[in-house]
Amino acid sequence: MDIDDILREVDPASHGIPLETRDLQALTRLWVAERSAPELLNWPADGLFERVNSKIKSQIEKIEDMTGDMDPKTNFALIVIQTELERYKFLVRSYLRTRIAKIDKHTLHYLSTEELRQRLSPTELAYATRHQALLHNHYLSSFLSSFPQRLQNLNDTAGNVSMIDSPDLDTAVFVRLLREKDVFGRGTDSDTILPAANGDVLIMRWSSAKALVENGDAELV
Amino acid sequence: MSYYDVDAILTDGEKVPCRFELDVPYLGHLDNSNGLKPGTRLNLPLWLAEMFALASAGEDSKPPLTLTLPPCLSEQVLAALKADPRAVPLRDQSAYFYGVAVRMLDLFDERELSAILRTTFVVRAADVGLHARKAEESGLGGQGEEFLRGLDEWERRLFRRGHEGVKWAKEWTDNVKKS
Amino acid sequence: MYGDLGIKLVQHAKRTQNLAHLPPYQAELVRAVTREVRDLNKDVDDLLEPFQGSFDPAEDQAVAYTLLVNHISMRRNKRCLLAYHRTRTDKLEELVWNGADVIDLSGQQVRDGGASGSKGVASGDGSTSSLSPQEEDYVRQYGDLLAAYKGQWTDIDLTGSLEPPRDLFIDVRVLKDAGEIQTEYGAITLTKNSQFYVRQGDVERLIAQGYLQKLS
Repeated sequence: MDIDDILREVDPASHGIPLETRDLQALTRLWVAERSAPELLNWPADGLFERVNSKIKSQIEKIEDMTGDMDPKTNFALIVIQTELERYKFLVRSYLRTRIAKIDKHTLHYLSTEELRQRLSPTELAYATRHQALLHNHYLSSFLSSFPQRLQNLNDTAGNVSMIDSPDLDTAVFVRLLREKDVFGRGTDSDTILPAANGDVLIMRWSSAKALVENGDAELV
Repeated sequence: MSYYDVDAILTDGEKVPCRFELDVPYLGHLDNSNGLKPGTRLNLPLWLAEMFALASAGEDSKPPLTLTLPPCLSEQVLAALKADPRAVPLRDQSAYFYGVAVRMLDLFDERELSAILRTTFVVRAADVGLHARKAEESGLGGQGEEFLRGLDEWERRLFRRGHEGVKWAKEWTDNVKKS
Repeated sequence: MYGDLGIKLVQHAKRTQNLAHLPPYQAELVRAVTREVRDLNKDVDDLLEPFQGSFDPAEDQAVAYTLLVNHISMRRNKRCLLAYHRTRTDKLEELVWNGADVIDLSGQQVRDGGASGSKGVASGDGSTSSLSPQEEDYVRQYGDLLAAYKGQWTDIDLTGSLEPPRDLFIDVRVLKDAGEIQTEYGAITLTKNSQFYVRQGDVERLIAQGYLQKLS
């Protein structure tokens, strides 16, 4: 099993499918998008992770119940469930780690406005806040505390380089169109408008793709 | 540009030739003298030179110093690049050749310089990509090795990315074949 | 010239990025760059003192430009120091994610010193650790923070493998004695050079820590 198997299962038409399956699809989509986008995307607000977490818990319990039963039939089912469980765990782990890596890289940026803070889950927000405090403390105790007071900040934006690093929104991403659309893309020398059909895959700057993705006209791949 | 980026900081530390236009007695430490006099020539790192060139104390006062293009962007280097971009070891000019050049282009409106650099980057990048693909199998021939030694930091990063990309793609296809 | 020492620190940072281990903390250099900032700040105060808070840059350009140079130089040194420390904390955090703790990390220099002769001397202040005391604190605190974050996701094992799972069971060879581990198929005693067919999820940490080798 690998990523392709997981992706193949993700069918955009998801009506009439049990919630559990839809959750797995949603999780897979979130994971793909998060890994492709150069900036942190919104944490899902619909309780997806609470459901995923309790699903994982119940799977683990089921496995514990079944272990010890030496019936070959149970044993086979056990392997299937375990394989599915590993896959679930991998998706969640990889998704969370991708997010943490982005948050660590541009912590102050994501903490700088209310709009950006809302992209983080409560746990991530607590982690980011504490991490930044630890870093500032570390700098202070290593050298910064003997600086003049006005030079001790880590968030000065004056001067020619802002101290708050932010992600490069012009990073190239691949998107798949979900409906027919004239796609506008900014370029270095000139901008383009490209008529694209449903299913077309384009490479473009995230700054140009973002609105398409947010409106559901396209998805990150 | 990123505040914590080590390469950006090192690029900023590259020196450019400047000529002082003012009498500043307190700044002798910049060239180990008793003070800077009008007409003093000295090499200053970009981070300092740039601020100076853009600053002026009063509205009608002239900038305290004038900048000139650094030796890595001299007429000779540019002429050589025009002749054959691949034949110039950029690293010998500056490890941060393009980084410095981009900063200079922010300060000077030099259309021709910009055009030459652009061609240089595109032509060389194609070769960098070629070497990145081949590095795995054939080892590097004498000439290829010489070319790679002369890459500046941007090009090195490009080479590394290209090389890793080829390696990962190969690992992936091998895995697919196995399973 | 002011700023030259800062560059040296950043060159250390650049080298550190390409190393697997953490080279010794440049305590002496950090002190020197910090001192430069204090000296520059004193110069600023001395220069401004005669004006009693009523300095007009247009009146005295020589002083104005000197102040500018000093300010920019202080900011430059600050950037160099921060980039140096940040490069190291990035590396330390990576090691913590990989399961190292502060004892492993501060012990590292001793082992390195033993392997390559006189390297331990380079740390400047006679300590055997390649970490500064502040860095050791940082590793401890970051380790706590990570543990707290991981605690929210107990069933996932956040520090587990980031390779997509392929095989539920794998062959492993034991490289170092690791004692007994519990799996859902019972206990296994891992003695050096023995081989096992085990569930990958049960032994990932041991592979990452170098106790086991995955056989393909």
